[in-house]
Amino acid sequence: MNSQVPRLAFRSVSVEFGGLRALSDVSFDVSSGEIVGLIGPNGAGKTTAFNVACGFVAPTSGTVEFPDRGVTQPKPHDLASIGVARTLQGVGLFDHLTILENVMAGGQIRPGGGAFRGLLGLPSAGRSERQLTADALAALERLDVAEFAAKLPGSIPYGIAKKVSVARALMGSPTLLLLDEPASGLDERELDEFATLITSLKSDMGVLLVEHNMDFVMPLVDRLVVLNFGEVIASGTSSEVRSHPEVLAAYLGVEQ
Amino acid sequence: MIDLLTSRVMGDIFLGVTQGVLYGLIGLSLVIVWQSTNILNFAQGAMAMFATYVGMTLLEHGLNYWACLAISVAAGFVLGGATERVLVRPLYGKPEINSIVVMVGFLGILEAGAIAIWGGTSRMIVSPFSLSYFQHNGKTIFLSPFAILQIAAAVTVMLIVAGLFRFTKLGLQLRAAALAPEVARLLGVRVNRLLTLGWALASAAGAVAAVVISSGFEGLTPTNMDVYFVFGFIAAAVGGLESPLGAVLAGVLIGMLQQFIVDYAPPSWASFSPVLILVVALMIRPQGLFSKQRVRRV
Amino acid sequence: MVSIKQFIANRPTSARALATLVATIALLGLAIIVDPLNDTYLATASIMAIAIVGLSLLIGLSGQVSIGNSGFMAIGAFTTAIWAQHHAHFPLLGSMALSVAVSTVAGIVLGLPSTRLRGPYLAGMTLAFAFAIPPFIQSLGTFAGGSGGLYFPTLQTPAWFASAIGEKDNPLAANNTWGAAIAIVVAAVAFFFMANFFHSRSGRAMRLVRDNDVAAELVGVNVARTRVLAFAISAAFAGLAGSLLAIIQSSVLPQTFGVALSIELLSLLVLGGLGTLGGAMIAGLIAAYSDSIVSRINSWTGIDPVSNLGGSLKGIIFGLILIATMLLAPSGLAGLGHRISRFVRSRVAQKKALSVSETP
Ligand SMILES: Nc1ncnc2c1ncn2[C@@H]1O[C@H](COP(=O)(O)OP(=O)(O)O)[C@@H](O)[C@H]1O
Ligand SMILES: [Mg+2]
Repeated sequence: MNSQVPRLAFRSVSVEFGGLRALSDVSFDVSSGEIVGLIGPNGAGKTTAFNVACGFVAPTSGTVEFPDRGVTQPKPHDLASIGVARTLQGVGLFDHLTILENVMAGGQIRPGGGAFRGLLGLPSAGRSERQLTADALAALERLDVAEFAAKLPGSIPYGIAKKVSVARALMGSPTLLLLDEPASGLDERELDEFATLITSLKSDMGVLLVEHNMDFVMPLVDRLVVLNFGEVIASGTSSEVRSHPEVLAAYLGVEQ
Repeated sequence: MIDLLTSRVMGDIFLGVTQGVLYGLIGLSLVIVWQSTNILNFAQGAMAMFATYVGMTLLEHGLNYWACLAISVAAGFVLGGATERVLVRPLYGKPEINSIVVMVGFLGILEAGAIAIWGGTSRMIVSPFSLSYFQHNGKTIFLSPFAILQIAAAVTVMLIVAGLFRFTKLGLQLRAAALAPEVARLLGVRVNRLLTLGWALASAAGAVAAVVISSGFEGLTPTNMDVYFVFGFIAAAVGGLESPLGAVLAGVLIGMLQQFIVDYAPPSWASFSPVLILVVALMIRPQGLFSKQRVRRV
Repeated sequence: MVSIKQFIANRPTSARALATLVATIALLGLAIIVDPLNDTYLATASIMAIAIVGLSLLIGLSGQVSIGNSGFMAIGAFTTAIWAQHHAHFPLLGSMALSVAVSTVAGIVLGLPSTRLRGPYLAGMTLAFAFAIPPFIQSLGTFAGGSGGLYFPTLQTPAWFASAIGEKDNPLAANNTWGAAIAIVVAAVAFFFMANFFHSRSGRAMRLVRDNDVAAELVGVNVARTRVLAFAISAAFAGLAGSLLAIIQSSVLPQTFGVALSIELLSLLVLGGLGTLGGAMIAGLIAAYSDSIVSRINSWTGIDPVSNLGGSLKGIIFGLILIATMLLAPSGLAGLGHRISRFVRSRVAQKKALSVSETP
């Protein structure tokens, strides 16, 4: 695997909303096989960074690249096809679809799903759909939540819903996974499970996660990127960052 | 100066503004309702029609014009408030489709109900103002005493609404109640009463338009407010659904545009060209021409 | 031995085709048995069901409310009518295909702004469209018949059909049955396609966009294209319904396709049940029989049908039903049936559980 080529690269990205500078000359990258944590106090620009990466927000200057695919600033709906999956803050499930259908949605871009095929009900569409169903069930089983397959998102516990959203993200066999606050709302046991799950994923993909919960992030990640007022004030391993004076002042100092 | 007033262009402008203020009034009603409850009131025109029919019925019993106008507006006020209490309140927090369907259903009931009660033929309230245009040296100035009253009535309503919004806390409170009812409640805003008031005011403003229409050339039928609703909606949407002044200005512009089309192009184009304007305007600025940019939050 | 359940799971399209075939044959049999008046009702039911299921896709699946599908019906009807005016012999399938094509294009054009508009803006824009179409058609002048509409040769019943149903000597009855048969077959094909689509990945894409457009985009759904596609398909179905209407009535009037028709479509859809095929079928039947139901009500209550109240009773009832359904049973009649059957099943299951627990 060409793990030397990063999966995601921010190159001097700046974003302005009106006069507000939400990101300022931000550069970092994420490679396959590593978990990178993006941390910073509220309003530091973490979600904005995710939104730039996903094409929901256009950078005022600089670029977001996916160098292993040779793609620069894709549209949101093109992410899935270049192997990027993102979970949303909260759970971001489809309320009126069953859990199984929610996970099947992760395979939306597989071949055989065209509108004409759908109208005509061609056998190839049927086969592709059956395969998708089977894979979705397998993904639910892998995360140990298959029993909820027929339920609606509104009727399952929050922790399960989070797992379902990860199962959906994994359906597209991503090579880069973006997790927006995956730990929020989870209890101790669920946090442990989640950490194990994310660690088990990194052999196949790069993971970038935004997180508030320091106890969760610190042991989990290989590297940290610390944002404050839209600027990268530090980056490195957990222990390096932990002792960084600016970080202590800007962020950890607030909490401790 | 007088030559200018009798020119073809000025004639079109006069006729266009006279018609356009009515679109503006309905657009204004829609904006008030939208701002207070985030609902597009498809029955806005029909409610105005119904209220005016009530006023007209009383007029037939010998009341004078101004009394009829007052009663119609009062009926509009009551109808608007009652509608909010009974039909609209169960819709808060429900999917958009529910409110659209309910308001469309109410539109159907009001129109069919008006036909059932008063019949489908056109009715007029004869106003004390003449409908005939001013003449000067054998040329026509396309303004009549009634047209002046019409424009004055519309301007008065707009000033009252603007005054209420600007110089009392009403506008701010309405917006607060719509955006964050819980917070507004905590701040001591009596949200429920305010929403009812918003609907009542909007409906009263619409009733002014319907009364004026019923005194014009075409009179009022149970369904001819549909036209005003559609063009009023276009005015409100082009203006951004959030801006009372934007709705009024857009209404006047649409009225003028139609008049110019009637004058210089096949007249039948006048009834569908505003739709094209709407489509084009919304393509360029989906949030409305007079509304502040809103960004999508992820 | 393959069970029915397995067959449906493994060959869903074949199962749907089979179900469609059985239903078509049954309905054709019904059309042959019933009197000419009921034949016209069956035709109307089929036509309205096509338009309503198209609207159901747009509103129920993709979550975009349109009050403008009467405009697409008008476009379909007038395309067929204008074609029939200028060609002495016009093939049925050809004119339907042409109508579908033209109204699909119109659907795409109206759908394009939908990629940027939401909720009430969109609904209002479609309403304005519905409002603008009849005057637009009138403005086309003699080409489209102006405000007097277009009349063209009546539907020709083939001799084999008349003799096959034993109505060789009764051309009027044969004609009505033939019209109903065409409408039933076309509706069956349309519903077959729609059933496939509802269960397809593209159909799911629409539900994804409806529920959460951001998440839909992130799984690779092109939200804009999906929204436009929903408009296009919905318009195609409405256009097909319009074309059939023109063919069967042999005449079209611009005024019949006003906003009132759009409101009627919406009412019927909500009453039948949003986003379900069965709901659209129920709605089609109600559409066809609503006039005779209302006249029944008139005679029960002694309301003079030509009085003001008698004439507007249908509108009042529709409006009341619309509001009542939305406030009391938002899933419509189809949903009500579903809920009742679920209730009954859960009761049965409870009883079973009780009797099981009582046995030991
Ligand atoms: N769409 C937007 N429009 C205007 N300002 C925004 C927008 N999105 C975020 N911001 C601002 O940018 C800054 C960074 O926000 P965000 O990225 O959400 O921070 P975080 O996720 O780190 O808490 C904040 O000040 C926020 O108010
Ligand atoms: Mg955030």
